[in-house]
Amino acid sequence: MLEKTVNEMLAKTFPDEKVTATVDERRIVHLAGECSTYQTLIDVGHAVAHVEGVRNVVSDMTARGVVMKKKDYTPFVEAGEKKGVVEECDVLIVGAGIIGCGIAREIAKYNLKVLVAEMGDDVSTGCSKANNGCIHHGMAVKPGTLKSEMNRIGNKRYDDWERELHVGMIRPGYLEVVTKMEDLPKVYARFELGLKNKVPGMKILTPEQINEIEPAYEQNGIHPVAALYLPNFGLVETPYVCVALAENAATNGVRFLFNTTVGKVLTEDHKIVGVVTNKGIIKCRYLVNAAGMYADDIAEMAGDRLFTIHNRRGTIAIFDKATPPTFHIPTAILSGLVKKGKNVESKGGGMHPTPENNLLIGPSAEEVPDKEDTETYEWGVDYCMECCFQDPLLHKGDIIKIFAGARPADFMEDFTIEMSDVTDGLVHACCTQSPGVASSPGVADRTVGIIVDDLLKKGEDVHVKPDYNPYREKPVEFRHMTREEQDALIAKDPRYGRIVCRCEQVTEGEILDVLHSPVVPHSITAIKNRTRAGMGRCQGGFCQPRVLEIIARELGEDWIKVNLNGEGSNILVSANREEGDEQ
Amino acid sequence: MKNISVDIAVIGGGPAGLAAALEAKEQGAGRVLLLERDGDLGGILQQCIHDGFGLHRFGARLSGTEYAQRYADMVRATDIEIKLDTMVIELTKDRVIYAMNPTDGMMRIECGAVVLAMGCRERTASQVFLYGFRPAGVLTAGSVQRYINMEGYLPGKTAVILGSGDIGLIMARRMTLEGITVKGVYEAAPHLGGLMRNKVQCLDDYNIPLHVGMSVVRVHGKKRVEGVTVAKVGPDFRAIPGTEEFIPCDLLVLAVGLIPENELSRGAQVEMDNKTRGPVLDNNFMTSVPGIFAAGNVAVVFDLVDYVSASGAAAARGAVRFLKGELGGACEYRPVTAGENVNFVVPQRVRTDAEGPTSFYLRVRQPLKKVRLVCEEEGKEIASVRATHAAPPEMMSFEAKLSGGALTVSVTEV
Repeated sequence: MLEKTVNEMLAKTFPDEKVTATVDERRIVHLAGECSTYQTLIDVGHAVAHVEGVRNVVSDMTARGVVMKKKDYTPFVEAGEKKGVVEECDVLIVGAGIIGCGIAREIAKYNLKVLVAEMGDDVSTGCSKANNGCIHHGMAVKPGTLKSEMNRIGNKRYDDWERELHVGMIRPGYLEVVTKMEDLPKVYARFELGLKNKVPGMKILTPEQINEIEPAYEQNGIHPVAALYLPNFGLVETPYVCVALAENAATNGVRFLFNTTVGKVLTEDHKIVGVVTNKGIIKCRYLVNAAGMYADDIAEMAGDRLFTIHNRRGTIAIFDKATPPTFHIPTAILSGLVKKGKNVESKGGGMHPTPENNLLIGPSAEEVPDKEDTETYEWGVDYCMECCFQDPLLHKGDIIKIFAGARPADFMEDFTIEMSDVTDGLVHACCTQSPGVASSPGVADRTVGIIVDDLLKKGEDVHVKPDYNPYREKPVEFRHMTREEQDALIAKDPRYGRIVCRCEQVTEGEILDVLHSPVVPHSITAIKNRTRAGMGRCQGGFCQPRVLEIIARELGEDWIKVNLNGEGSNILVSANREEGDEQ
Repeated sequence: MKNISVDIAVIGGGPAGLAAALEAKEQGAGRVLLLERDGDLGGILQQCIHDGFGLHRFGARLSGTEYAQRYADMVRATDIEIKLDTMVIELTKDRVIYAMNPTDGMMRIECGAVVLAMGCRERTASQVFLYGFRPAGVLTAGSVQRYINMEGYLPGKTAVILGSGDIGLIMARRMTLEGITVKGVYEAAPHLGGLMRNKVQCLDDYNIPLHVGMSVVRVHGKKRVEGVTVAKVGPDFRAIPGTEEFIPCDLLVLAVGLIPENELSRGAQVEMDNKTRGPVLDNNFMTSVPGIFAAGNVAVVFDLVDYVSASGAAAARGAVRFLKGELGGACEYRPVTAGENVNFVVPQRVRTDAEGPTSFYLRVRQPLKKVRLVCEEEGKEIASVRATHAAPPEMMSFEAKLSGGALTVSVTEV
C-alpha cells in the first residue's frame, strides 16, 4: 500500500525520472534508478521522505553524469583480519566528532570499558571540523521533531559542559529584527514557532530595548521597529568542544583509537559482537554509530540499512580580527532580506562573531554527491557575502580563511537516535546535521540512556564509578590573561614567555601543555584546534615551522613524519640535497 | 612586572630596526633598546642566502645573511641594549610598550620615542581567493625559504609558483638548485612582479617559464597537493573559461604579495594609509602619533634592503630630534601628492617647518620608458631624476631639499 503511494507520488511529481521505490516491512523506502541531475536525486529523496507513513529513505539512486562514490572497505578489513583480535570492550563508539566525543564523555562515568574508533588522526576531523559553531536557540526547527527536542535539551546542557569542561562557549543571544511595521507579523510568527519548540526566555523587544542591548543597528543606519530576542543562543569552536569532551572522557578511562577505520561489523544471531578495523578486530557488546557522514555505511555493515546520508556542504569565511563583527549579538534582519537559492533544509547563511571575536560568515548549503567533498568555490563565498547584512565596512579582502565543511543529512531531515530494531547492541546516533552541534549534549544523554537502560533491563550491574571526575581543568590561555597574570605565569614557567603564534599570541608553554594532555595531538591542525596556533591572519606562515619543530621534539618524531592533518599530509618530503649529491 | 624606561625603543631587529638603532646611537641618543622576537638579529635576512644585497649601502654584493651580520656587528659594538626572543604585545599611544620574554617576563617599557620596524608578512591562499581543497603542500615562499635554507628540509618534489614578486623568483632558483622541479611561475598581472634582474638570474638562467596573465585557480588533492589548475585571467583576475590547464605538482608556492605588519601600530591609534598599508608618515618618518616613527617594510613594502636601512636611519634621526624637543608642539602638515603616473609616495606629508634634504620613495602605476621624475614644491621644481625606465615593482627614490610647502611628485616619459 505504502509502496504504491510512494510510486504514484514519484510518477506524478517526477514524471521524467526513472526511479522506482520498494518498501520493506519496516516502512523503509528503498529508491533505485537514475535521476537526471544530482539535485533531482536529492529532491526525490526528500519528496519520498515527506510521504506519510514513511519511516526512512535508503537510496541507491544515481544521477546522470555524476560519479556516486562508495567507499571501499576491503583493504581495511583485510588488514584487520590478519591482525586478529586486538581489543575488547563493552562499548565501541565509531566516530570522534562532537557526537562521538559527547557520548564518550557522558558514558565515561559508568563502570564500562569504552573505546572510540576514529578514522581521522584526531577528534573532530569530519563534519565537526568545519561549521559555524552555533548553539542554536531552537526556535527555527520543525516542532515535534527529534531535532527540536535535542536542540532544546542540548542548548541548555551546554551550561553544564561549559562549567565542568570549559568548552569555550559564549551566549551572546540572537536577534531577529524587522525594520518595517508591515513585517511585524513575522516577529510574532517566529515567537509562536519558538513557543511550539519550547524555547526559553524569548522576548519581543521595542526599538529602545533593542538599541540598549545592540546599538550597532542605529549606528549603521538601521532602524528596527521590533525584534525577537533569543537569549539562549550560544557560540563555540566545535573542534575545541570535541577536544574538551575527549580529554575528560580519556581522564575517566575512555581510550581513543585514531587512524582506525571500521570496515566490517561482526554479529552473531543479530547481536553485535565486534568490528573489524584496519588496526585489528575489536570485540564489543555495544556499537555506537556516531560515524557522521559514513553512518549509513556503518548501519549497513551492521545489517540495519535504515537511512542514506548525503553531504550538504557549507562554505565559511573568517575575517581578520581587525575587521570585528558589526553586531556583537548575532542577527537576522527579516525585512527585505533576499537570499538567493536558499536551501530549505538547512538554515545556513548569517554572520556572527566567533567566541574569539573573529567575524564569521556562512555557511552556504550546497548538495554535493561526494561525502568527502569539502572543496571551496567562489560562488560559495559570494553566497555567504550576500546573506550578510550589507555592511559597507565588510570587504572580501579582509577574509583570512575560506573553508568548507560537510553536513551529514538524511532524507527525513531529522536525527536518528535509537537502538536498532534488527541488530541488538547497535545504537544509532546519526543524521545529526544542523543543529547537530547545539544538540550534541542532548544526543549524548539520550544515547547513553539507551545503553544504560538496556544493560539494566538485562540485569547487569551498571553504576557511576566512584572515581568519576566530571571536571576538566581550564587550560592556560595566555591571550586572555591580564599583564600581571602573564608576568606571574612566565615567572613560574618561562616556557609561557615565548610566543610561538604571534597572530593569536599562543605561547610555547600552551603547545607543550596540549602535547602532554590526555588526548595527544600529532598534527599541525590538531595543535591548531587546541591552542589556536596558526588560526590568525598569517595562517601559520610564521609559526608552522616552529610548531612542527616542537611536535617533532616532544613526540620524538622525524621532521619529515610530522603532518598537517593525518597520514599523507606531510609538510616536508625529504632533507635537503647533501653536499656532492648529483643535481 | 618589570618597569623599564628608555630613550628610544626600536621594535624589530631586521634591517630597518638595526639601522634605526645604530643611527639613533650615532646621533647621540642615550638608552636605546632593540626588541626582537626571534632568537637572533637580522629578521627575514637570516633566511636570504642569495646575493644582491648591499650594492647601495656597502658597495658590495652581499648575501642577506652577510648584510645582516655587518649591521648586527655594528650594533653589537655599541651599548645598544638588545633583547632577543622578546615579543612586543602592545604599544600605547603614550609610547608605553608591553613586551615579554622567558627571562624578563612581562615588561612595561616607557619610551621617549619609538621606532616601528616590524616588517611585513606574506599574503596567504585565502587572501588571494585560491579555491579548492586545503591540503598540505601549499606554502608561502617565505615558509619554503625557511624550511630549505634554515631547517634543511624540502617541502616538495615538483613545484608551481604563483606570483612573480622577487621572493617567488628567488625561490624558483633556490628550489631548482635543491633538486625540486619548478614547473613554472604564474603571474596574474600582465607584467612581471619583481625586478628584471631577478627574472634573468633566477628564471631565464634555469629555463623556468614565466606565464604572465595566468593564475592558479584551483588546488587539487585532499591530503597533499596533487596538482593545480592554472588559467588565463582577464583584467579582473578572473579565469577565462576554456583556458584552464591541469598541472600535476606536490607543492604550490605562494609569492602573492606582502602586507606590512601594523597590528601594534593600529593598537597605538596610528593613522594608516590604505595605499601603502603602512602608517601615514611625515618627512621625519613620524606617524600621526607624536614620538612614534616607522621605517622599513612596516611603513611600505620596499624592494631593496638598502632602502629599508636608509629609511630606518631616517626614522631614527627623526626620533632623536623628537627627544630633543625639535618636533614638539603643534604643527601643520602639507600633503605630498602622487602626481602623474605615481601610485604613492612615502613620506605622505611634510611639516610646514620642514627644512633640509629628505629622501622620498615611490612606485609608478605602470611600466614606463625613458622617464623623468619631478618633485615640485608649491609649483616650483625642487628635485628631478632621469631613468631609462620605470616599473611598478621597482621602487624609485629621490632626495629633495624642503622648505615646508606642499609637494607633488610625477613621473613622465620624455
